[in-house]
Amino acid sequence: MENELKILEEEFLKDCQQACGAKDAEGLRVKYLGRKAQINQFFSKIPTLEPTQRGAYGRELNILKQKMSAIIEKKLNERQNLEESLDLTYPGIKPQRGSRHVLTTVTETICDIFQKQGFIVAQGGEIEDEWHNFTALNFPTDHPSRDAFDTFYLNLDQDKKNGRYLLRCHTSPSQIRVMCQNKPPMAVISPGRVYRPDEVDATHSFMFHQVEGFAISENINFAHLKGVLLDFAKGFFAKDARLRFRPHFFPFTEPSAEVDVSCFMCNGKKKETKCSVCKDKGWIEVLGCGMIHPNVLDTCNIDSQKYQGFAFGLGVERMAMLKYGITDIRLFYENDLRFLEQFNQL
Amino acid sequence: MRFSLNFIKEFLELKVPAKELATTLTMAGMEVEHLEKIGDDWALDIEITTNRYDWLSVLGVAREIGASTDKKLKVKYLKVDKKPIEKKRKIIIENKEDCPFYVGRTVRGVKPTASPAWLKSRVQNCGINSINNIVDITNYCMLKWGNPLHAFDEDKIEGDIYIRRAKKGEKFLGIDEKERILTGENLVIADSKKVIALAGVIGGKNTEVDENTKNIFLEAAIFSPTVTRRSRREACVDTESSYRFERRVSADCLEYASAESAQLIKELAKGGNASYIEAGIKPASKQRKITLEISKLNFYLGEEISKQKVKKILSNLGCTLKEVSKDKLSVSPCDFRFDLLREVDLYEEIARIYGYDKIQPKLPFLLDQREKDGSGLVVGADAYDFKKKLGKSLAVLGLREIVTFSIEGSEQLGAMGCQNLVGLLNPMRKQEDSMRPTLLLGMLGALRHNTNRGQKDLQLFEIANIYNKTKIGFSEETVISLGVAGESFFHLKGLIEEFLRSLNIGKVVLVDKKENNFTNALEILAGSKSIGFLGKLDSSCAQSFDLKTDIFFAQLRVEALAELKNIKKYKEFSLYPATSRDISVAMERSCKFQAIEKIVEKKAGVFFAGLEIVDRYRGKDLPKEQTAFTVRVFYQSKTQTLTSAEVDSLHNEIRKSLSQKEGVFLR
Repeated sequence: MENELKILEEEFLKDCQQACGAKDAEGLRVKYLGRKAQINQFFSKIPTLEPTQRGAYGRELNILKQKMSAIIEKKLNERQNLEESLDLTYPGIKPQRGSRHVLTTVTETICDIFQKQGFIVAQGGEIEDEWHNFTALNFPTDHPSRDAFDTFYLNLDQDKKNGRYLLRCHTSPSQIRVMCQNKPPMAVISPGRVYRPDEVDATHSFMFHQVEGFAISENINFAHLKGVLLDFAKGFFAKDARLRFRPHFFPFTEPSAEVDVSCFMCNGKKKETKCSVCKDKGWIEVLGCGMIHPNVLDTCNIDSQKYQGFAFGLGVERMAMLKYGITDIRLFYENDLRFLEQFNQL
Repeated sequence: MRFSLNFIKEFLELKVPAKELATTLTMAGMEVEHLEKIGDDWALDIEITTNRYDWLSVLGVAREIGASTDKKLKVKYLKVDKKPIEKKRKIIIENKEDCPFYVGRTVRGVKPTASPAWLKSRVQNCGINSINNIVDITNYCMLKWGNPLHAFDEDKIEGDIYIRRAKKGEKFLGIDEKERILTGENLVIADSKKVIALAGVIGGKNTEVDENTKNIFLEAAIFSPTVTRRSRREACVDTESSYRFERRVSADCLEYASAESAQLIKELAKGGNASYIEAGIKPASKQRKITLEISKLNFYLGEEISKQKVKKILSNLGCTLKEVSKDKLSVSPCDFRFDLLREVDLYEEIARIYGYDKIQPKLPFLLDQREKDGSGLVVGADAYDFKKKLGKSLAVLGLREIVTFSIEGSEQLGAMGCQNLVGLLNPMRKQEDSMRPTLLLGMLGALRHNTNRGQKDLQLFEIANIYNKTKIGFSEETVISLGVAGESFFHLKGLIEEFLRSLNIGKVVLVDKKENNFTNALEILAGSKSIGFLGKLDSSCAQSFDLKTDIFFAQLRVEALAELKNIKKYKEFSLYPATSRDISVAMERSCKFQAIEKIVEKKAGVFFAGLEIVDRYRGKDLPKEQTAFTVRVFYQSKTQTLTSAEVDSLHNEIRKSLSQKEGVFLR
């Protein structure tokens, strides 16, 4: 009897040597461990044996079966591993995914930084009136200071109190509404679409996006304005970003400034080739700001003797172009998938 | 505006290199945008902000340089000779508001020739073409003193000179060879027969100085800034002269400019007799006194600037100072600084000369405004957060966000059946003359752009405003558009269902809707509230857009979504396995799948665990008016594993009910 087990084992080992491939391994499994396998016949013989022999024979059988299973299992695994390890340099399968527009995510990145400082977000409508868009902001009528703020006017009946309707040319009117409806202290940022009759080219568009902000309290000062914007620049551009404040003029702020950020590409260090970002100036103009003109505060029923504040504004497209090295503003509105796909943020 | 550095040096001694000077000026608010070396001279392109008309002259720029580099100016003022009085003609000013002051000088017997080299380089290095000595002299004096001057050929002026508004329809040919038809907005200089100049803007061809000119009439005047601005806009022209007048021109140096011009014409063009005439009154400078508190200044700037420093800065800027108390100064700005009106204007002057960069940045401590008064500011901050969430949900569903223009063409919108458009009064192009009342066109544009470039499987979204004219004026509402190219209607429907689920918006029904440009549109209703619609774009409409694939589009109202959104609550799921059974059904086209769904749900009751369609049958043996499919129904209990027998009995009940439904046949 032991002999027949030996014969079976030898036959199995011989088969094993010849077997190669998953199919063969599977064949071995059917032949030696399947329902019709010889070993099962041996097992079924056990009850016919002498009771004293049954135990030992059964054990022998079990050992043989385990041995065969282990070998077959190993063979099967080897085969599978071999197949799987063929060539892992084939490309992965690209999952279909969605994304938000780079203008949206850049707007939010900007807002997030200011929100951490304590600002809250206020978004107003895009259809505005002359009073909120100009008058309340201390723009004299028929003055060259309006030239930089050319505006689309709308075919709506003009408001008796607030004048002609127009498309806001900056998000400031939304801020005027907040100032008129609330009491200081307040710190608000307003992101959104704005419109100006500019011919479309690589850096201009008749529709673009802005984020403007202001803070008013009894003790907000010019140094705070510098601090808030420096903190923003470090968060948005680079940890070691520096800012340069140049005196400028806006009707709605006094003192006013234009702000340049140190070039994050060359950091002002001259190289052999001209810096593509700052054109070797070392500085890039990024935003306008200033202390809110007392006329603006008084117009919004905020006592300019008691309160003071600062305001700033920046263009989202410009920020996105600088941050990602985008050279044509039209790419933002063309919505080419090859553009959108490069900004896979949620 | 372009200035020559050598010209500036006529007023003050400068030893700093041009580049260094440019940086100093830029940091003091006079931005030097560009610096160019021309021979032994430098040309500085300076951006002049609209409040600083006083920088529109070499004298003004020199004053600024003096103030920011702590240098005194040396100005040679001419002795102004007002004799003899010109008797040949009178000057009549119609309205003193339009033109408060007018000075004329006649120089006779001149000989216009080319300018000498020094004069040429002065005007050319300031960006003005050299014409002849007469014109160059007027430009030189304008550049120097800031007062625009005009030289007429005196022999071509007939009779007296009038400063009056143009008559409607009056014609005028400028020295730029362009003919303009004038309106009452135009202030003109006229003789008794014709218009000879657009006041403060451009001279007339009919009185232009040429090589044969013998006698010169030289004009220097003050014209109203708003009148000049309106006039030059009406005439569509912008000149060195109008640029200055609309920003305001001071009368302080007017007489020097006029006298020096006449003097130079005599010298360089060999002029002989000269005479003088004036009309109106030279505007007197108003004395202003501003009280400046040093402590307030420092509080405003967040920087300690000493009184001594403040006094130095202000006196360098030409202000007269008087000490009122230890902390207070009485400041009288010089005549030409009309822009210094109140304390904050002085703050800026002090801060910019002191140096914005010297002020140390500090972070303010901002209050948590949401907690203020328990209510927070009325600003609608939630709307921003909600839109952010919507965008993220859609991106997670695999859609890509697009941004398209809010301004579209009324012609195209009209062709799509859109009415009551909010239109632009001053559009730049016909294709962009209206505010869009739907996001459809923007979406189609983006889909077309990408399908034309071979992109497939497009699913896009946009969150933006739409605008309509209404009875009370206008409406502006934020909506979401979803667009899918290719795929099927049910793909879009699935996206929307999943999107609404992400907002936990429950009971929504979809009902048939007639919608312009769409076949098979459905309105999405929550109770009686409309959330929006979805549909398949009419194929003829798609074709007119050059779109060859099927287009599915939806537009959802953000405000409705905000109102309907719910807070998510966890629902316990069953720990026991679900079992499924299939039913094959054929259905008349008049029946809706919804009816089958309702029967299954009702009959399976608490054991209902969902259904799906596993097979659609499109065999030949099926009557045309029928559709056939297999529904897989899932059964599950929360308290036990259902036995086969229990499931079979439930399933048979459902089969029975379905077979009783009219138009439904079991297969």
